[in-house]
Amino acid sequence: MMLVTFKRRDLYLLLLLAAGLVLLFEYGKLTPNRGALLLTLVFWSGLAQGCLALAAAAELTRARWIASLRRELLCVHPLLLVLALLFLCLAPRLDLYPWHEKPGPWLNGPFFLVRNLLLLLAVWWTGRRFALSAAARAEPCQRDAVLFLFAFVACQSLLAFDLVMSLAYPWMSSLLGAYFFVEALYAGVALAALLFFVLGGGKQRQAPEVIGAHHRDVARLLFGFSVLWGGLFFAQFLLLWYGNLPEETGFIVARLQSAGLRNLALLVILACFVAPFIGLMARRVKERPALVALVALAVLAGLFGERLFFILPEAPLHLGVTLFQNLVLGMGWLVLVHGQGEVLPEAVGGEG
Amino acid sequence: MSQEPGLNAGPNLAPAERLERTVLAAMSRPSLRYLGALGLCGLLVLMLFAIWGVIIWQGMGIAGINHPVSWGVFITNFVFWVGIAHSGTLISAVLYLFRARFRTSFNRAAEAMTLIALSVAGLFPLIHLGRVWIFYYLLPYPSERLIWPNFRSPLVWDVFAVTTYMLVSAAFFYIGLLPDLAILRRRLQGWRSRVYGWLSLGWSGSLDEWRHYNRVYLFLAAFATPLVASVHSIVSWDFAVSIVPGWHTTIFAPYFVAGAILSGSAMVFTLTIPMRRILGLEAYIQVDHFEALAKILLFTSLIVSYSYICETALAWYHGNLFEMEQFRYRSFGDYWFLYWIMILCNSLLPLTLWRKSWRRNLRWLFILSLLVNVGMWLERFVIIVNSLAREYSPYAWGTYQVSLAELGITLGSFGLFFAMFLLFCKLLPVLSMTEIKERL
Amino acid sequence: MEPMQVFHDREEFLARLRELRDAGHGWRDLDIHMPFHVHEVDEIFALPPGGVRFFALGGGVLGFAGGLAFVCYTVLSWPLITGGKPIVSVPPFLLIAYLLTILCGSLCAFGGFLLLARRPGFGEASDVDAHGDCFMVRVREEKKR
Repeated sequence: MMLVTFKRRDLYLLLLLAAGLVLLFEYGKLTPNRGALLLTLVFWSGLAQGCLALAAAAELTRARWIASLRRELLCVHPLLLVLALLFLCLAPRLDLYPWHEKPGPWLNGPFFLVRNLLLLLAVWWTGRRFALSAAARAEPCQRDAVLFLFAFVACQSLLAFDLVMSLAYPWMSSLLGAYFFVEALYAGVALAALLFFVLGGGKQRQAPEVIGAHHRDVARLLFGFSVLWGGLFFAQFLLLWYGNLPEETGFIVARLQSAGLRNLALLVILACFVAPFIGLMARRVKERPALVALVALAVLAGLFGERLFFILPEAPLHLGVTLFQNLVLGMGWLVLVHGQGEVLPEAVGGEG
Repeated sequence: MSQEPGLNAGPNLAPAERLERTVLAAMSRPSLRYLGALGLCGLLVLMLFAIWGVIIWQGMGIAGINHPVSWGVFITNFVFWVGIAHSGTLISAVLYLFRARFRTSFNRAAEAMTLIALSVAGLFPLIHLGRVWIFYYLLPYPSERLIWPNFRSPLVWDVFAVTTYMLVSAAFFYIGLLPDLAILRRRLQGWRSRVYGWLSLGWSGSLDEWRHYNRVYLFLAAFATPLVASVHSIVSWDFAVSIVPGWHTTIFAPYFVAGAILSGSAMVFTLTIPMRRILGLEAYIQVDHFEALAKILLFTSLIVSYSYICETALAWYHGNLFEMEQFRYRSFGDYWFLYWIMILCNSLLPLTLWRKSWRRNLRWLFILSLLVNVGMWLERFVIIVNSLAREYSPYAWGTYQVSLAELGITLGSFGLFFAMFLLFCKLLPVLSMTEIKERL
Repeated sequence: MEPMQVFHDREEFLARLRELRDAGHGWRDLDIHMPFHVHEVDEIFALPPGGVRFFALGGGVLGFAGGLAFVCYTVLSWPLITGGKPIVSVPPFLLIAYLLTILCGSLCAFGGFLLLARRPGFGEASDVDAHGDCFMVRVREEKKR
């Protein structure tokens, strides 16, 4: 399968190229709609950070399944730097935000850029540290994992509150931060399920029944996260619905008034909750990597759709540009998985 | 305190035999100290019912609640005790699904704690009703003029949630007990053997029984896991669906669930650290297991701190006058002292558990568990009382003072809780012998 | 009836079970008792998962549908608007349906367990207790013929 091999320098160059392509499409005057980069950034920060956060959580809880996928999840760390870079290039887009005209003490351009950039860099730095030490050592490095998780939770929360929630300022939901980092973990599990299907349990050369058991655990996690997602979604929706305050429901009403977004909302619930919940209930489905990967794809599509639902009405975007940007970053991720030996140190000793 | 014949009976005993003897020794004739403790708790229970009697006789005026703070210590206690119940299910069901081995040291005691705390919690809505003899208005049946209860009301959700939780926890507890009851049937004599024999449903440990037992245990764990999250979510919605500053915020559900598990884990420490020592269970409930549980306590404490930060920061972010005033009032208003104790106990002191040596220090864990429960009780008090004391119109502001009757009932509820736990220790095996045998 | 073969050691017990399986005995031909569940036994006989799951699923579905139908019936039988909410308010009703899903699912699983494991049943208890804390196996009489 190894058709091409990359050196580490080539990998970073490729990632830089991907970032360049994303920016070219964003600022190349292809379309007057300008929300694409924001959406790509929010979606991919969830995916990339989610992969590492899942690995960190698995290390901390000593989950056994991680042995099959450790390197594939850890190798994502250079992407975090790319995302920080892309965020910096979001600066010309700050006029998308309603508070841009009337900046306040918290919501103002420079502070907004600096705090989020710092957090993205912190996530990259702690994530890289964690990835390098976790890949090299057989025993888990708890301190690095904890530090990364702290940065991850802070960063995802702030991305949710700053990048997404403040689009509809003064709309507010205090759960959104926690909702975002749970969704990032959910995306991480979905990617893990996809990797199991594509790579057949990584390149660790383990016995098939061990890989099978690990895959079943990932499928169970996906099922569990679907319930958790459903619960958090419901917890937010119920309170907004029940309170029925114009400043809270305005956000939802504005979106549900257009038929397209209404259908999108239904699709999101279908893809993120109903499909994994019903689909993965049967044991036989959980044992088939192809079916689990299909469900995982649905989940990822659902998460993407939800970002679209949040961002689209406030920041119109060109679908082609958005898809292209996500495709480019997706390719970047695949290249990283393929060339993981270059960005991660060789494991010392046996796999634990 | 070496009253355990099992451990002294010689080193040649098989591990399983030693385990059974140790656990059975706990169920032997009660010592004077045990009876003394039980008697003390019994007195507190008597006090509870006496005060309740006075409240029924004279009316709710005896309690300190009044307009505008019409929810006070009773509702605080309700939320507190329901919260205590939660970590029992977490330990028995969630850790079972995650295959965490240390759960077998705690699960029996924690499940018993769940049932006991739920029954204590169930008292408080009844006390708070005032006219408790018409409690059946809460039940879903068409009452006066065939009107059903209002299913859009969170108080009715509560009835469903707590009842469901009670029944499912009881089923889970009982299923887990069956093989152990069979052991009691085998080892005890006379009428006790017969009683435990009936209770064990004639469990014989056949392959067919085990096959279905494992499945039903798994399913009950799988049902109990989302249930435990939803019960405290619903309790939190008792507050959050109303439009009261400080209550109406979407993070309430996960925030309350994390708080419940925090206080529940603390209560597991409070109960099991003395239990382990008095009953000589050191060989089975190991320091490693306490350490693992301490990590859960630390984790939930971090979530609770995250929620404190989020709700306060977002009130400020949003700029709503009433929300901002509520959070200012909480930290610097009439009850500021309680607020800062709460922060100290729930957010700051658990941070000591980052150090391994503190996590393994049982004395500190015991003290910390008491403090965390003080903090968690205060958290509910702070949330409930502050928000009601400062709603929108300044003409409707007011403060609340806890009356002696409320204090007495609170104290009595602790007496009831500990009395029932003491009875559990004498009547049922405090460790899940069957599951521990698997890992011996 | 053939006496029970008694094992105190779990490995010896498992070895005996493998022998019996290789001799052509299925798990239904054997009378096996264990003080705690040994997972290897499931693998030796490739035990089927059993029927409790159908009870759990059936109870869950019944609870959900029943719960939803029940609350809808109550509000429609006396339509009374409270709190400015619609008569059939889906979100809170889903909550009731959800709780009843769990309640019925759990209780049905519990009932299914009692039914399938034939509890309460007191026939074998004294026989098993006489041997104490150990593994037991014997070939059932009716299957020998």
